[in-house]
Amino acid sequence: MKRKMLSAVLCAAMVLSMGVSAFAEEASLPDASGKTFAIVTKSAGNPFNEREESGFQEVIEACGGTAIIKQPEAATADAQVSVIQSLISQGVDSISIAANDENALQAALEEATDEGIKVSSFDSKVNADSRLTFVNQAGVSEIGVTLMEAVYDIAGGEGQWAILSATSQAANQNAWIEAMKATMEADEKYANLELVEVAYGDDELQKSTDQTQALLDKYPDLKVICAPTTVGINAAAKVLQDKNSSVKLTGLGLPSEMKEYIGDDDAHSCPYMYLWNPIDLGRLAAYTAIALVNGDITGAAGESFEAGEMGTFEIVESDDGGTEIILGAPFKFDASNIEEWAEVY
Amino acid sequence: MAGKSGRTISAAPEKAWKTTIFSWEGIMVCIFLAVNILCMCLSPNYQLKNVLREMPKYLAEIFLMFPMVYILILGDIDLTVGATVCLAASLGCLASNAGLPMILVLVLMLVVGTVCGFVNGLVLTKFTELPPMIVTLATQIIFRGIAEIALGSGGSVSLADYKSFKVLAGKVGIVPYIFFLVIIIGIIFAVVLAKTTFGRKLYAIGSNSVAAEYAGIHVQKIRLIVFTITGLMAGLGAIFLTSVLYGANTTTGQGFELDVIAMAVFGGVSTAGGKGKMAGAMISAFTIVCLRIGLGLVNVNAQVILIILGVLLILAVMLPNIVTMVKNQKKTAARR
Amino acid sequence: MKEKNGFLKKLSGSRELGLAAILIVLCIGIQIKSPSFLTPTSISDMLKNNAVTMIMALGMFEVLLIGGMDISIASTAGLAGMSVGLLLKYGIISNTFLGILLGILIGIVCGVCVGLVISKGKVLPIIASMGFMYIFRGFAYVLSGGQWASAADLGTFKDFALTSYLGFGVINNVIMIVIVCYIIFFVVTKWTVAGRKVYAVGSNVEAASVSGINSDRVKLVVYTVMGMLSGLAGVLSVSVYGSAQPNMLYGQEMDVIAACVIGGVSMNGGRGSVVGVFLGALTMAVINKALPLVGIDSIAQNTVQGVIILAVIVLNVLTQRATDRKNLKGREM
Repeated sequence: MKRKMLSAVLCAAMVLSMGVSAFAEEASLPDASGKTFAIVTKSAGNPFNEREESGFQEVIEACGGTAIIKQPEAATADAQVSVIQSLISQGVDSISIAANDENALQAALEEATDEGIKVSSFDSKVNADSRLTFVNQAGVSEIGVTLMEAVYDIAGGEGQWAILSATSQAANQNAWIEAMKATMEADEKYANLELVEVAYGDDELQKSTDQTQALLDKYPDLKVICAPTTVGINAAAKVLQDKNSSVKLTGLGLPSEMKEYIGDDDAHSCPYMYLWNPIDLGRLAAYTAIALVNGDITGAAGESFEAGEMGTFEIVESDDGGTEIILGAPFKFDASNIEEWAEVY
Repeated sequence: MAGKSGRTISAAPEKAWKTTIFSWEGIMVCIFLAVNILCMCLSPNYQLKNVLREMPKYLAEIFLMFPMVYILILGDIDLTVGATVCLAASLGCLASNAGLPMILVLVLMLVVGTVCGFVNGLVLTKFTELPPMIVTLATQIIFRGIAEIALGSGGSVSLADYKSFKVLAGKVGIVPYIFFLVIIIGIIFAVVLAKTTFGRKLYAIGSNSVAAEYAGIHVQKIRLIVFTITGLMAGLGAIFLTSVLYGANTTTGQGFELDVIAMAVFGGVSTAGGKGKMAGAMISAFTIVCLRIGLGLVNVNAQVILIILGVLLILAVMLPNIVTMVKNQKKTAARR
Repeated sequence: MKEKNGFLKKLSGSRELGLAAILIVLCIGIQIKSPSFLTPTSISDMLKNNAVTMIMALGMFEVLLIGGMDISIASTAGLAGMSVGLLLKYGIISNTFLGILLGILIGIVCGVCVGLVISKGKVLPIIASMGFMYIFRGFAYVLSGGQWASAADLGTFKDFALTSYLGFGVINNVIMIVIVCYIIFFVVTKWTVAGRKVYAVGSNVEAASVSGINSDRVKLVVYTVMGMLSGLAGVLSVSVYGSAQPNMLYGQEMDVIAACVIGGVSMNGGRGSVVGVFLGALTMAVINKALPLVGIDSIAQNTVQGVIILAVIVLNVLTQRATDRKNLKGREM
């Protein structure tokens, strides 16, 4: 009950702050006129990326700059290299990139930096050498703890659980999975939970479905599946809900895609899940880019800057030796707020 | 019929200017110029220095196109080139990180590529009943799969010693080294195809492999050689891709095979075998690369670029056919 | 006695039997490793999850029979699925059958485009379909505008894949459609003039033309049917997975071609059977289902899949060679 109350209040606060921000915008916007800002997402045809782009574009245009939105032809580092090269030729002022491979973009991004372009990453980082700073949706360990806590809660403190991830080389997912494992080992509380398998559905519906069904067949005592990927959680939710399985699901998913599956009762497969607001992530990436281009920040730890209606953000040290800006804690979606958020993203 | 000469092999080399201009290669040169003029009009950033700077990544694909032209002329197909690049690059980077000296890493990449090509050739020549498309489809999954296993759970390897690879991505003025290498290797492949008995044999096998066999050509031996060379070139492509990517991952080289086949076909090489010239394929490769760079500069959606390429591919192959058809119809009408 | 011998000979000489044997061995092996494999729900899940490949394999069978090739099918399915998903999402249609019908129609239009370019434009099938692969997929992306159609957007459309009213309350609707498709194709290829024409064109185009078959028309029809089945597969997959995404079924064409070739369909045309295609598609389905089940390390699963495909087609060739040799021996005696 308490949890529900809290989330209701949180949600109301979020909605309120969004409404207020529309009025407050004029006052504190940084100036970006005459400058060109590029955003490069991981792939085309994914609503999560599309929301990031729209948030980015909204802020850049509100500040008087020009936004270039680039999607690679495929979700590969190869394709992103061509995109970066093209942006260098166009002489943009900044590039914000969600990387498909942490290290493979280094050569291209170094070249961009040599040309005076301010390079920052968001969503999925590039290595510390090739970026000024990284706009992180939430701290890796924070996500690990949050998801682990959710698994613990849904499983009732003990039993078998499994992870359904994207591809075996998805950097974000791997980092979160490692963080979950670390959380599990660090705390005695999780001693009765047994992680039986990490399965990979390659972010394809058919393969994710096969993998989920195999998990159910292989581990009859399975209690929870945690899918930290938007495609995987979707496929798994469908399988569990159709089978009316007693196995429950949590993870990271888009509210608009998961609306059908979220609910407290047995008819729904996912009691609650988490995500951050991709629109806000895009916005923060935009403010960061503007601050970098205007010279307000250099990307060093300890600096802070105004992100318009979003407030003040501080740059902190990141685990990989670079710096990062953390958007906030992952947001929880459950039966009480899913309807509202499904409309937003 | 002169307009079709590029798509057929003429018994005697044609020297007349008119036939050169109206050949497929002549048309390709015109299209190449048209694409460049179009891109220059579209974007002020379409300048030589930018185009040359963006090119190296695409040039790694053109390496693969040369042997693919041979394979298509044989009437075969090879879907593994992208996966071979991936495997060679992955193993090379892992070896380099394990402390293997640079020169041996380069040799290793070439050897890995060659072995992959040889395996393809071996399966195809031992089991001649099997269609190359399906065999290379399976080996493609296997090659990339081995790379996945080798790379382990991260699926990605970053080159610790990327500085030595960076040298390979160097430039003479504004022209990258790899550009010269592509031109030289392209000329070698073109000369071998047009001027040597080996090249003639490729055409003979592609036109009619049974007849070629009876004419004393070792069809299977030649196929094995060509597939092995393809692997070697994939290894070379891997080296240069590594110099651009400073590492490798499981998606390295994904989709190269279709890009490469499209380049060759756009240049007048027939997938049915026996037809096509290296010059046409080379001009077409550069045309496609320039078009991609140009459309990228005006920020055309990547998927729309693919639609445009798809339409161009179909039109390029269909238009000559329709022209001949109309001509023939006119002829029959005149006869009446 | 003699007749029985002839029957046995026919049986042992058929490629289908060899494949069936491989499939049975494969299934027994998996069953020993994982007892939950051959249960009714598990089989039903498997068939439903591979319905797309199974349906498109039929169209690909006809395409390969006439010596053609179509690698645009996954894009066609994606375009059809995405379009119908968007129509449902924006509330333009809500009827399930209308949705399926529209998907099929979009598939037919795509198929006619491919067929016309191949038959009238005289473009080689692999090139024509490669071009359309880019075009149709690009359209799916552009149409979607980066959106998916989610389970909630699809409304009752996804119930189609959950209920079994077409299968008399026993067999799931989707599986029932697969079965009906296979029965239709079996009958058409075996016992009708149209079916024989396809074989005729595939065996020898000139001979077929001389005997009065309009091979261009046959080609057009075959590619149209391929498009139709791809469209059907596309909408069914939207219903099965409760989601339409612009990159759905990406790369599926290769699975479909592999299913046909494993099933003994010749890529040079003129040879193959519906039973073979069924077994081939089933083999692919079993591989997909079993790989995660038998506990192979997930990183190695792709490699194992590739090795199995290669092994099965090589085994196919070896058995074929053995039977050929045996037949030759029989003749000598």
